[in-house]
Amino acid sequence: MSANRPVTPSTLSIKDLPWQIRWSKEKCTLCGSCTAVCPVHALELGVFRKRVVESSIDIKQTSSNVFKIYHGIRQKTDPQHACVGCGMCTMMCPNDAIIPARSDEADKLIYHQNQGGQPRRRGGRRNVVGGILDQIKFIRISMLTDPALDAGRHEFELRTLLGRILSPEDNLKHLKANGWIPPVREIYPLIIGGMSFGALSPTMWEGLQMGVAYLNEEMKMPVRMCTGEGGCPPRLLRSRFLQYVILQIASGYFGWDEIIHAIPDMKVDPCAVEIKYGQGAKPGDGGLLMWYKVNKLIAAIRGVPVGVSLPSPPTHQTQYSIEEAVAKMTQSMYMAWGFRVPVYPKISASSTSLSVLNNLTRNEYAAGLAIDGEDGGTGAAYNVSMNTMGHPIASNLRDCYLNLVKLGKQNEIPLFAGGGVGKTGNLAANAAALIMLGASGVQTGKYIMQAAAGCLGSESDRCNICNVGLCPKGITSQDPRLYRRLNAEDVAQRVVDVFLSFDTELKKIVAPLGRSTSLPIGMSDALGISDYHASERLSIKYVV
Amino acid sequence: MSSKTYYKIDGKEEGIRIESRILEEKIQVAVENGERLIEVNAFGQHGIGGRLWKAGDASVHVKITGHTGQRAGSLGFPNTVIEIMGPASDDVGWLNAGSTIIVHGNAGNGLANAMAQGKVYVAGNIGARGMTMTKSNPRFAPPEIWVLGSVGDYFGEFMAGGIAVVCGIDPQTPQNILGYRPLVGMVGGKLFFRGPHKGYSDADAKQIPISDEDWYWLTENLKEYLTQIHREDAQESLLKREEWQLLAARSPQEKGGVKKRSITSFRTDIWEKELGPGGLIGDLTTLDRSQVPLITTGDLRRFVPVWENQKYKAPCEGTCPSGIPVHERWRLVREGRIDEAVDLALEYTPFPATICGYLCPNPCMQACTRQIGSMMPIDISKLGRASIQAKMPEFPVLSGRQIAVIGGGPAGISIAWQLRKSGHEAVIYDMEKTIGGKIASVIPESRIPKEVLTAELERISSVIPHIHLKQKLGKQETERLKGDYDFLVVAAGAQKPRILPVPGKERMITAMDFLARAKTNAIDPGKKVVIIGAGNVGCDVATEAGRLGAKSLMLIDVQKPASFGKEREEAEACGAVFKWPCFTQEVTEKGVLLTTGELLEADTVVISIGDVPDTEFLPESVEIDSGFVKVDAFYRTSDSKIFAVGDIVKPGLLTDAIGAGRKAAEAINMILKGQEPVIEKRDMIDTDRIRLEYFDPRITCFDDVDHCGSQCSSCGNCRDCGICISICPQTAISRKDLGNTAYEYVVDVSRCIGCGFCAGACPCGIWFLTENYSMG
Repeated sequence: MSANRPVTPSTLSIKDLPWQIRWSKEKCTLCGSCTAVCPVHALELGVFRKRVVESSIDIKQTSSNVFKIYHGIRQKTDPQHACVGCGMCTMMCPNDAIIPARSDEADKLIYHQNQGGQPRRRGGRRNVVGGILDQIKFIRISMLTDPALDAGRHEFELRTLLGRILSPEDNLKHLKANGWIPPVREIYPLIIGGMSFGALSPTMWEGLQMGVAYLNEEMKMPVRMCTGEGGCPPRLLRSRFLQYVILQIASGYFGWDEIIHAIPDMKVDPCAVEIKYGQGAKPGDGGLLMWYKVNKLIAAIRGVPVGVSLPSPPTHQTQYSIEEAVAKMTQSMYMAWGFRVPVYPKISASSTSLSVLNNLTRNEYAAGLAIDGEDGGTGAAYNVSMNTMGHPIASNLRDCYLNLVKLGKQNEIPLFAGGGVGKTGNLAANAAALIMLGASGVQTGKYIMQAAAGCLGSESDRCNICNVGLCPKGITSQDPRLYRRLNAEDVAQRVVDVFLSFDTELKKIVAPLGRSTSLPIGMSDALGISDYHASERLSIKYVV
Repeated sequence: MSSKTYYKIDGKEEGIRIESRILEEKIQVAVENGERLIEVNAFGQHGIGGRLWKAGDASVHVKITGHTGQRAGSLGFPNTVIEIMGPASDDVGWLNAGSTIIVHGNAGNGLANAMAQGKVYVAGNIGARGMTMTKSNPRFAPPEIWVLGSVGDYFGEFMAGGIAVVCGIDPQTPQNILGYRPLVGMVGGKLFFRGPHKGYSDADAKQIPISDEDWYWLTENLKEYLTQIHREDAQESLLKREEWQLLAARSPQEKGGVKKRSITSFRTDIWEKELGPGGLIGDLTTLDRSQVPLITTGDLRRFVPVWENQKYKAPCEGTCPSGIPVHERWRLVREGRIDEAVDLALEYTPFPATICGYLCPNPCMQACTRQIGSMMPIDISKLGRASIQAKMPEFPVLSGRQIAVIGGGPAGISIAWQLRKSGHEAVIYDMEKTIGGKIASVIPESRIPKEVLTAELERISSVIPHIHLKQKLGKQETERLKGDYDFLVVAAGAQKPRILPVPGKERMITAMDFLARAKTNAIDPGKKVVIIGAGNVGCDVATEAGRLGAKSLMLIDVQKPASFGKEREEAEACGAVFKWPCFTQEVTEKGVLLTTGELLEADTVVISIGDVPDTEFLPESVEIDSGFVKVDAFYRTSDSKIFAVGDIVKPGLLTDAIGAGRKAAEAINMILKGQEPVIEKRDMIDTDRIRLEYFDPRITCFDDVDHCGSQCSSCGNCRDCGICISICPQTAISRKDLGNTAYEYVVDVSRCIGCGFCAGACPCGIWFLTENYSMG
């Protein structure tokens, strides 16, 4: 800062910032790429004054003093322009002259991200590393006991069921009494979780949908993707690809008029309808699409004015009790497609999950329950919700599953787990752990963003600017200048890669269990953990 | 062979089956004893016929009758021929390292598993997982299996070498002679087959044409095979080359390239075919969504630079109450146009030398951006003093419109000057013989050389008529003037000194009175002077009293004295002492008695706590607020024909009065032209945009005006230095000559990447990086 200026409480130095730009004057060629690409304008060209004193103690020679100017890259220090660590500068730099480094000091910026009394909002995930899922080991490796299968050689049919699964006898009874049988879908156990058209860019969303369609039609893998709460493009609603889509309805009800209008024209039924009551990343809070991202296209699909923020209420405004919410909404959604489409709620993992589940067991319509744990990601939320609210998925799911076991309904109401699946890259292992803890399938979003589109976010609070639409990769931006950086075909290809490799890894885990045609749902004797308390809590083996 | 004598070993002893281990021992002993033809009547024993190395290079023939158990011929040696006279159980030839095994019937699962050398001839069909894990060692001939009929499921899994021949004669599964999912994980070897199949692992194997060499090998070896299994009769039906197919392992390179539909093809042929052109949202937007690079030009830039020359006021211009574009004068100096720089001042003030050069505290310098870097502000007084040379501007022909100005002080002169410059006649009415107001009458000569003031007043008088009033104006005269002129401007100043209502107030002399008399040396202040009110005027009093011989100069105030600048410095130089807070109780013969009881001795007591306007002469239509005339933003009073400027409106600096006069004159000019007056709304530049780093911070004084000009950062006004052209990594910026010394800097949008380097490097803060237009 200038010599003659006062400091304010929020006057920060580079030392105070969580991300510090390391720049090499020697290597820099002053090409302008870093400042041009920086999503938050954390960088600017700086003019630096350099003084050189030519000193002499020889009385006959006078000492002199020379000022020289050089230009270089300067990091801004005001909170609005603090570096987010995305590293796009490094990516663009032709000479490897610049890189953001995580400060070794406690973050001081955090105290100043509430300018104007507005608490920090951001995208991304909980800034807490690790989790219990990565600690779980698969300890049951059959070699000579069960028919050990070979992931590379044997045929596997890794499928799961979404829907109210009744025994044939019960189905017949149900049919006789009610005139319909609960619809059940056979789907791939890894579902792309709800990320809305709006939270994601058009190129990203199309890439995901295209990849899913490819997996279904070319690879014969019944992969499904949930729309999230943001409606669904009319063309998709009227295409055969709709069968690969789980439509989400949430408390903002965005885009549902388009869906309703499309019902008469639908060639196929959607896979299912997910009613979102809660989200793992920000339990107790609704969607938060900020105005930056609500352009003409998004406004059209959602049926709202351009340039307004779209917070969804934390709850469905007209539902006053679990009974009412589940009964009313689920039944209405069933009616929309003539009781041919499974409808299930999604909640954020919470100490109240069991109450919801118990209610579902008494509701003949509930097709399952999706539970989203605290490690879920989001495009926009209050930092406090993201970092501190919510329940870990593992024990929550486990409680729910064991409760179903107690009721004898573990094969009747499938549970889908999400929130931190693949948080550290171990997608298949985390998914398998959750399946063996009792999940019929898992939902993942963040992993897909990272693997399929190169999202830069991390638990080190890197990037995380999805909420303001500045995504440097074009994943969560609605600005064509940014989202055109992303090619939908590349995303689709990566989605295919991810699912194919996931499939092999999942096989590697389940093959030694002798499972090739049914998922080892709830097969918790295969799980072990070296944390005694966790083993007790999850009712799995304690191994050291 | 049948003609020869076989050494017979029975699988039973005394009607009881012997263990495999015992049978093995018997066979090994027989071989050790030189038996080379052995017939084993098996009873389910396992592993018969393998491991017969004790025969060395001599050939051993093991004929198995009865029921052979599993793994017949396992770990077989090249010297061994094993002939199973009926069907065989599982794992025939497991780990076979060279023996020839003939099965005169069907064989079970796992035939030839992990076989590396040798041959297995089967006269029937085989079970699942035949020919799996087979190897081929370059030191030996590759292993072979020959099957007359069909093979079971999972044939050839992980096959790494060897040749399999499946003839398809009387197959167990006529629809699919290769079974379910053959050749998964195959990495080497070949499979000849004849007959229908239901697919094989395309990822691992590929069909290749049968070369002549292959065909020769097949037909040659077929004879031997058929001979061994006694099926020479089948030869003819097996020699139709077109009925045979050949599968071989894909190379690792080929495996990677197993053809899947490309995503591009999927998008074109499936995705968009179903959804329509443009895919998912092709119906909702016409925006191009094709991929762009991270660094873009033109419309695709997120940010664009704008050359905002003169969009904002420089701090000097912005804070100068007279509104003089100081930076502009320095620009002219830099360009060597010093005369123009000097002349320019007369556009804004009739007192460029008197005020800018001497009397003004120079708010322009206080606001100078250089102060942010703790650098010396550019010294305008140098240019101010030079303005005495300024050339008289050319005045337009008179418009016929006339304005009366009451008051010949700086405010009145300023408005009259500006009105005259606009072509209107302004007539000054003043009580003094000469115009100039307080500048002329009360400001000490120590602060303004007489010749400078005189020269400037003469310059003014040469164009502005002055009517010397002999007596104070009354309301009626004022009304008359208003009627005689198009507009009446009141610039009568604040002439009425404020007096403290304390006992002995008559003993005090007012500052204005003192200063006016001092100027003509018409007062003797004595040795001790106390000045009540330690503002700048009080300082002037002290300075003058000092000049007139006073030894003790004390300025008292109720609060910390507000005096500053040259006035204060000069007073202090005369030995003035400041004392506060002091509250006057009474003025006595001895001096000033404070409320504390302290007596400040004085020969002369001067009261200098400001002046208030005399508004008695103004018509009722002019609204007065707290003793001052109320005006709007254009200095128009509540009477729309009467304007008021200067201290009668609000006490201020001389430069405030000059500025007010200029702005009011502009408003009157606009109104006379039939237009609505407008307030110039140009914001001051954000000084963060200025790059002071280019300037030497160690300068402590400026040598001359050229030195000043060179160090001016020209905030918001292009210095035409061209640094932006040099810094632009894209050579996107160029200077465009607009003729007549005008120019602009322009951006080639097809080259610009929006890096903002121009904005970062510009010393003057002209370039601004702003968001590109919204595309969404």
